[in-house]
Amino acid sequence: MKWTSTILGRNRRFIGFGTAVFLFFLITILSSTVRPFFGNVSSALILYPFAELKGYVAGLQSVADENRRLKNSLVETSLQLSALAEARRENTRLREFLGFDAPEHFRVVPVKIVSLRQQVYPIAAVINKGSSDSLAVDQPVINRFGLVGRVKEVMPHFATVQLLTDPTNAVSGRVAESRQFGIVRFSPARGMYFDNLPADAEIHSGDLIISSGLGGVYPAGLSIAIVDSVYAAKGDILKQVWLKPTVNLYEIEELYVLISDTL
Amino acid sequence: MRILPYLLYLYLLGLHLTILSDVTSIQGVRIDLAALLVILVALYKSDLVALWFALASGIVVGSLRLDLMPWEMFVLGVIAVAIHQSSRRMNLESLTSRLLLLGGFLLLHGLAISLVISTSDFGTMLIRQVIPGTVYTLLFGWLFLLWRDGCLTWEKIKALF
Repeated sequence: MKWTSTILGRNRRFIGFGTAVFLFFLITILSSTVRPFFGNVSSALILYPFAELKGYVAGLQSVADENRRLKNSLVETSLQLSALAEARRENTRLREFLGFDAPEHFRVVPVKIVSLRQQVYPIAAVINKGSSDSLAVDQPVINRFGLVGRVKEVMPHFATVQLLTDPTNAVSGRVAESRQFGIVRFSPARGMYFDNLPADAEIHSGDLIISSGLGGVYPAGLSIAIVDSVYAAKGDILKQVWLKPTVNLYEIEELYVLISDTL
Repeated sequence: MRILPYLLYLYLLGLHLTILSDVTSIQGVRIDLAALLVILVALYKSDLVALWFALASGIVVGSLRLDLMPWEMFVLGVIAVAIHQSSRRMNLESLTSRLLLLGGFLLLHGLAISLVISTSDFGTMLIRQVIPGTVYTLLFGWLFLLWRDGCLTWEKIKALF
């Protein structure tokens, strides 16, 4: 063994160069076996970890891009869903209105509320149509649940509606069943009530109050309110009747102005 | 022969070939890190070490294109031996002489590989890739030599700012 190490030691440089040249020729000549083997070893040991790292980073970047895109898409979809939900609600309201028949000799002009004026209760609403759409003062305004008020002021492209909850607005009404006349009023302290009803008048809780048609502003038969409670003390001349409007004036949105055919 | 530093150089070369080469390329001009490493090893280590490192570098670079593997091994091996022999016979104390040697052999490597690869557009390749690539790589070699000579230190860089 000693002579082997002596030979290796003395010829170390020659053996080193010789082996290198041998390896070079081996790789050059054996192109289908040795060369791919060294290529694979080099790829697996040196290039592969970095290629994996590169792929991983590229994957993360791709995921981040996709995440950003999906978030944007989610926001857009949410907005579309909101718009669709709103369109569905409007569609439902309009479908319900299709079953609504305007009173005889009247035609219906749909309007939208631009703003609502409130003093504890809503008292007036500005609508998006005016005299250029044939709107005029004192035309009745309704929605699918019943009477809302009347047109009070008119401008070319806007109009103001005086709501039933305005204390200065009084509507001649009658009990739908018993046909008793009275006046529907509203006060912020008492709410809506039925005034001028004799103490012996036949009226019960749950009865429907409709417009009487007297006074020339509102056509007869429009729903105004439901009787909430009735009170008559002994010796009173008039009954005290509290009403609940058929229209929730806090939720009004689409309204319809009734325009007389004679106009 | 302690192989750990050379193994790290090979891993640096692998990192460059897979990731850094694309990141640092300017208009398709890339750093020829394999040739730069082989030349620097040949300048400061023995010819046997330089030859083996050149062969290993040739295998790593050639594993991306197997048909080029023997050429890369041959050219890098020749450069390693030639650099070592030149550095022993010439006065390479000055930075300029080492830069000239570095630039010359980087250009030689670029030319040789381009001749193997190219068919008819050798001139275009020479002007658009080989010469700019040599200059680009030489810039890094110059920085390395400055650092090795102690002309470029962290304290001096910090003093600049």
